[in-house]
Order: sequence, then structure tokens, then C-alpha cells
Amino acid sequence: MTSIPAASAAIEIRAVRKLFGSGAEAVHAFGPSDLSIAPGEFISLLGPSGCGKSTLMLMIAGLLEITDGEILVDGDVVDAPRTDVGIMFQDSTLVPWRSVRGNVELQLELRGLDVAACRERIDDLLRSVHLDGFEDRALWELSGGMQQRAALCQAIVHEPGTLLLDEPLGKLDAMTRERIRTDLQDLWMRRRPTVVFVTHSIEEAIQLSTKICVITPRPGLIDHVIDIDLPWPRGLDARRGEGFVSHLARIQEIFHGYGVL
Amino acid sequence: MAAVTSVSPVAAGARWLARWWSRSWLFLLFFAAFFVAWEVLVDALEVPRYILPKPSTIVIKSSADLDRLVYYTWVTGTETVLGYAVAIVLAVPLGLAIAFSRFLRQTIYPFFVSIEMTPKIAFAPLFISWLGFGLLPKVIIVFLVCFFPIVLNAILAFGSLSEELTRFCRATGAGAWRSFVKVRLPAAMPQCFVGFKYAAINATVGATIAEFIGSDEGLGFYIQIVTGNMRPDLAFAGIFFLTVLGLAVFGLVTLAERLLIPWHISVRRAAS
Ligand SMILES: Nc1ncnc2c1ncn2[C@@H]1O[C@H](COP(=O)(O)OP(=O)(O)O)[C@@H](O)[C@H]1O
Ligand SMILES: [Mg+2]
Repeated sequence: MTSIPAASAAIEIRAVRKLFGSGAEAVHAFGPSDLSIAPGEFISLLGPSGCGKSTLMLMIAGLLEITDGEILVDGDVVDAPRTDVGIMFQDSTLVPWRSVRGNVELQLELRGLDVAACRERIDDLLRSVHLDGFEDRALWELSGGMQQRAALCQAIVHEPGTLLLDEPLGKLDAMTRERIRTDLQDLWMRRRPTVVFVTHSIEEAIQLSTKICVITPRPGLIDHVIDIDLPWPRGLDARRGEGFVSHLARIQEIFHGYGVL
Repeated sequence: MAAVTSVSPVAAGARWLARWWSRSWLFLLFFAAFFVAWEVLVDALEVPRYILPKPSTIVIKSSADLDRLVYYTWVTGTETVLGYAVAIVLAVPLGLAIAFSRFLRQTIYPFFVSIEMTPKIAFAPLFISWLGFGLLPKVIIVFLVCFFPIVLNAILAFGSLSEELTRFCRATGAGAWRSFVKVRLPAAMPQCFVGFKYAAINATVGATIAEFIGSDEGLGFYIQIVTGNMRPDLAFAGIFFLTVLGLAVFGLVTLAERLLIPWHISVRRAAS
């Protein structure tokens, strides 16, 4: 792994290890691993379920204590919740007592921001993920894909420079995944935030990422960091390209080696 | 929902009535059949009136006593509503405190859980011997039978915010108060209402039994006196008024639930 100086990295993970519990019953969930993420990168954490992807993401966000090692975000050691990142959690944080717009506003209200002043921003954001016309709907009136889009808007409405997305397309059907994937790529290309994207879909990771971190089964270790040097934007046709297919084959080979494929 | 505005209120009312009827006719029919069967069987089996009167006898005989029944409903209703309201006002904040304080969870909480096993109504004779026949001991007894289900459900409600929402609040940097108002409180409401509804059923039971034990007015008192006088027809009338009272209290709580948490699945299911 080539090491990037700390100052230029958006996220720097240094010998990070996570144990849950202590003593003989401790669960070794992740690491020790290192990783450097440059600003504007779209990096995927790819690995089988239970390998510590969510754990790593929560540690980056400062929401879970790090057992050993340290994490730096924008040059600062993480030792408290980072309020300057945008997080989409693995389980939904949409609340049923608020409409789609209300849920997006919740992020701003909890931060003490002026919601009225952000009205246009919210409208634009909802439109960019094709939720215009559904602003005032209740959650239970939305399909799973629409809820997932609303959750994405909630996670990024405060315009953070770093996004942590934990399986944002996890529970969706294949066709819906495809569409939201495109939305996500558009969004990233327009704004170029640093993205940490958790997934267990190899194709999704190749399509969206500048780099893929392949994580081993429990305890999770970052085993390979693969540069995905394919041209942008990567639509459906890109997936049939030679470069895409060879990345796919290589990564499948790696997981086959772990015994998970 | 928006479409209703373009329809005349009369037509909307008629539609509502039609829907209500299509949902309820079977139940109403069963209800009617029950009373008809009662009426017919009492005649057919020649059950003496002082054992089990016919529904028609109950209606005719008790109408002479209507003033007393209405007044006693007011008395029992006051005891019920006061005890219930005080229980809610004290139990919800206490449940909140217990959910957030490790110290209280290790001291008061186990105490409450063990008291939950005690039938609270067993304290009724004591309170009546301490405080006499008036309103206060009844209110205290209603309070006791309502307090524990409300407090235990409130502890559960405030203590079980999902890990995701807890993290969400922390990640925004929102303080305790803002997270509470915007997330914790609304998220806790459905479980709180489980306690409110359970307690609403307990409340009239508590008031009635407290009156059985010692009082000089109220529906419990009435039922006991008229039964002693071999007037089961009037006792049934008292029971009927108690049922109406219980339904009214429960209905009010259900209405409050609909207004406060219309988004909750239990409310939406009941409405559709
Ligand atoms: N709070 C916890 N207590 C104990 N073990 C945990 C906890 N959270 C996660 N784990 C364990 O850590 C491992 C990694 O979990 P997670 O990060 O959720 O995996 P992934 O997101 O890759 O599916 C799993 O084996 C899981 O059982
Ligand atoms: Mg996970």
C-alpha cells in the first residue's frame, strides 16, 4: 500500500482494531488495518456480512470506541462523534411521524439550523433523487426504493464533505438498486464528496468506486485495496466492458480464496 | 384525503355511515341476538326474577331509578378520572427518570417490578380504614391500580429507542433536550399508550371494588346495596352504567391516541 501523507488524506486509519467486550469472551470484529482515503474519493468497503464493515464505519464517525489505533478525519483525531460528516446507517433513521420533507428537515433541526432558509436546498435535493411530488407523503406511502432515497437526502442535506453510507441499497430489489446507483453516481460526480460506501455487492463496488477495500471474513482485515481505473460515468454498458469484467473476475477470485464464494 | 373537500358533506357522511354499517352489522346482529336469547330463555326456563331478570324488566324497572344511577355514575366517574389522571401525570415523568438514571434503575425499578406482582386492590381496605368513606381513598386506589402499568410501560418506552436513532441524534450533535423533543418523545409515545390503555381498563375496576369495600355512594356501592335487597334488575342497570363509564374512559384514551400518534401502525390499522 502506498502511504499518503496525513495532511492530504480525508480519512486516515492507523492500525485500527476493534474488540467487542473484554477478556475471553471478547469478539474480535475488525483489524488491525491501515487505510488512507484521499479527498473526493469514492471508496467501497467490500466484504461478507459480519466482517466489520459497519463497525469500521461507525468508528470513523466517532460513534463507536476504537480499541487500538487511531482514525483521523480531515487531520483531526476522532475521539467524539463527528458532526461534520453525513451518515446513512444500515438501518433506517427515517421516523414515521414525519413526512419525507419532515424527515429531511429533522437532520437540520437536530443541528439547530434554520429550516426555512434551507427550503430551496431541500427541494433541489429531493428533485435530484426523483422524489419531487412526494415531499408531503408519509413514509408508509412510499416504496422501499423511495424510502431509501429519502434516507439518502436526510443523510446529506447538511452538505457534508464526507459521506459514510452503510449498505444504502441493501434491502432493495435489483432494478431499484440499479436506478439509485445511478443517482448516487450523479450526486458524487456533481459534488465530489469523499465517500465511504459499505456493500457486499462486487458489481456495485466496481461500478461506483475509485477504490475498493476487500475485507476478509471475521475478523475483518483490509486485505487488498484495488484501484478501479475505469472511465466515468459508469452506466449499464460499462458493466459489459473488458476492464469491468476483469476486475469482477479478480475480486471473485479473492473471495473464492477466502472460501466465501 | 384531499379529495373529500370536493364532495358535499352530506354525501361524505352517507359514505362514512355506509362503511361503518358494512363493518359493524355482523357485530350489532350478534349483540342483538344475545339480548333476544336472554329474554327468551329467561321466559322459557321460568327463571325467577330475583335470580335473573329479563333485559326488558331491567330497562323498565331501572328507569324509575335513573336519577340515582346517573348521579352515581358521576361519582364513580370522578374517582376514576381523577385517579387515572394523577397516575399519568406522576408515572410518565417517573418512568422517564428511571429510564435515564442508572441509580433509579437499580433501586426503584426492581421495587416497582416486585410491587407489580402485588394485587394493588388488596390495599383498598387499609386506605379506607385510614381515610374513611370519602373521595380520597377511592382516588388513591384507582391511582394505585393505574400507576404501575403506566410507569413500567413508560420505562420501556423511553429506554428502547433504536440504536440507529440514538446514533443519529449523537451524530448531529443535538443536545439531550433537542433529541428528546424531536426524537425520543415521539418515538416513545406508542409504548406509553400501551400503558395508558391497560390502565384505563384497570381504573373502573379499581373504583368499583373500592366502593364495594367501603362507601356511601357510587355505582359499586349501588350494586352492592340493590343486590342485598334482592333487586338483580337494578344491579344489572348499575353494571350497564359502569360499562358505559369504562367505554367512555377507554374511548377517550383511544381518541387521544389517534390525535397524538396518527402515524403509528396500530392506529392506522384500526382506522382502515
Ligand atoms: N455491539 C456489539 N457487540 C458485540 N459484537 C458485535 C457488536 N456489533 C457488532 N458485533 C460483531 O462484530 C462483527 C462485525 O459486525 P459488523 O460490523 O456489523 O459487520 P458487517 O457490517 O460487516 O456485516 C460481527 O461478528 C458482529 O457480530
Ligand atoms: Mg453491516
